[in-house]
Amino acid sequence: MLLEAIDVTKTFGALTVVNSVSVSLGKGDILGLIGPNGAGKSTFFNCLTGDLMPTSGRVILNGEDVSLMTPEQRAVRGLARSFQVPQTFETMSVLENVMIGAFLRTFDPAKARRRALDVLDLVGLVDVSSSVAGSLGTPGRKRLEIARALATDPEILLLDEAMAGLTATEVRQAIELVRKIHQTGMTLVIVEHIMEVIISLAQQVIVFHQGHQIARGTPQEVTRDPAVVTAYLGKRAAADAARGFAGDQT
Amino acid sequence: MKRSVWLLLILALVVVYPLLFTTPFLQRLGALVLLYAIAASAWNIVGGYAGQVSVGHVVFFGCGAYASMAFFTHFGWPPIAAVPVGMMASVGIAALIGVPTLRLSGHYFSMATIAVAELARLIVTNVEALGAAVGLSGPVMPRSVFDLSFTSALPYYYLFLVVLLAVLGLTYWMENSRIGFYLRAIKDNERAARSLGVQAGRYKLYAYMMSAGLTSIAGTLYATMYGFIDPDSGLGILTSVKILIMAALGGAGLLFGPLVGAAILVPLEEISNNLLGGKGAGLTFVVYGAIIMIIARFYPSGLLKLVLDRLASAKPALSEQKVRDVA
Ligand SMILES: Nc1ncnc2c1ncn2[C@@H]1O[C@H](COP(=O)(O)OP(=O)(O)OP(=O)(O)O)[C@@H](O)[C@H]1O
Ligand SMILES: [Mg+2]
Repeated sequence: MLLEAIDVTKTFGALTVVNSVSVSLGKGDILGLIGPNGAGKSTFFNCLTGDLMPTSGRVILNGEDVSLMTPEQRAVRGLARSFQVPQTFETMSVLENVMIGAFLRTFDPAKARRRALDVLDLVGLVDVSSSVAGSLGTPGRKRLEIARALATDPEILLLDEAMAGLTATEVRQAIELVRKIHQTGMTLVIVEHIMEVIISLAQQVIVFHQGHQIARGTPQEVTRDPAVVTAYLGKRAAADAARGFAGDQT
Repeated sequence: MKRSVWLLLILALVVVYPLLFTTPFLQRLGALVLLYAIAASAWNIVGGYAGQVSVGHVVFFGCGAYASMAFFTHFGWPPIAAVPVGMMASVGIAALIGVPTLRLSGHYFSMATIAVAELARLIVTNVEALGAAVGLSGPVMPRSVFDLSFTSALPYYYLFLVVLLAVLGLTYWMENSRIGFYLRAIKDNERAARSLGVQAGRYKLYAYMMSAGLTSIAGTLYATMYGFIDPDSGLGILTSVKILIMAALGGAGLLFGPLVGAAILVPLEEISNNLLGGKGAGLTFVVYGAIIMIIARFYPSGLLKLVLDRLASAKPALSEQKVRDVA
């Protein structure tokens, strides 16, 4: 297994936000995490990346227990992420943002630059490589975060709502991008509210509700699960319709 | 292309300045500008590039100054020979302050730097071997050229210029290597930097230690030129503030920012001291306070950045439309 979480629990004071969740991913898997707002998806995600330390439970990366390791230690070991609220280096250029990622594997600025340009080409940002990251809109920033993460040459990429705030066309382009990345052999964890994304990409889905895992299975299985429909999809379908996404949950 | 021509022109002006302006006052003024530019450029590495605001940098300045005067007084070393001693002491103190505080939010670091600098001043004021409240003096008469004791400011001017160029050279190298990129990333967004494998705590510490070592050289040079050091001149909080303001006024995180700041502030201070006849110490605080407020309110990235932005915006901005198309 490339990444395993075993009984991960996270509490904030008296509030249990993630309640004993386990996952395991092999190389090339795509895991989707869905659930209503505040269900604990990002908290669980941050326990995997090291931004938060789980209250109990363990995280295993490539056979090594990384539960107590910092985000930078996990990054060196092949884990990369994007943030739900974009965290780009605002005063640096798009190219420099990606170079920071590339520097994880080289000291040489010329090599980092070349690697960064390759990745920017892949994600379609090469034309704006010299613009300041602060001048990009939300979709541009989310793409930039993916590029930056890819530049670290990771084995597993975790995306926290990388497609929120995108138009329907942009979402389809982003799905294509993730597919392209997956085809290089990448393992992915995707947190999304947009069911279209989950259905077209994920092989395995975990549904969160109030910190608990309430369902797990293929996208088809979980979308048919009555508990999921009550807790989440019923509300989502209405919301998606209002935003112009046709209900893909067939 | 254009930029290197400008740089060469300015460098040529700096080199011939003391030959064009030959009065002792103006030569000494030039030397002081360069001396403070060294200290402020050293501060810039941790305060500007890494964004960790040290308000106690005088402790490193003091290490360098006291090392030279103490090793002269007790062992008869030429003052300049104590450069490695001052540097080692500074790097050690930086590690002691930095290791526990640089992982915390920036405010703790800033407060710790002030506290340690004031503590050092109090300790030195009570240590007889370091001259206590009276201070230490250098050679009264030069024993050899190695004492670097001259009546004219001209030799100091060129000595300081060489050191400043070395410090700026080192900074330039740093700016363009991995550590420079990492420091800017940490300053912009530490959490994101760490997610990309940047060992933020370690890099901030490197920057702090490098900055501390270079600042101590400025202290040694100061003591060599003045041949005297006491707790106020060597460890006074005003010097910390002066170093910080020069860098911030010129442009923190810009290679030549601290030099620009020193070239503005040092003459201002020398002229006002001359006019007010040394009674200006209290006023200096007021003026510095006012400058801090003006920088914070109107020029947060410094004067040099303002000028560079003006120059850049004079050229047609083609890339903006592109940004909107893609983003
Ligand atoms: N640092 C914290 N301290 C206290 N409570 C927190 C903290 N971080 C998150 N929470 C709470 O934990 C719950 C889960 O938050 P989380 O961000 O994991 O949800 P989410 O599933 O990612 O939601 P969304 O879809 O809105 O992003 C929320 O109720 C949130 O208020
Ligand atoms: Mg979330």
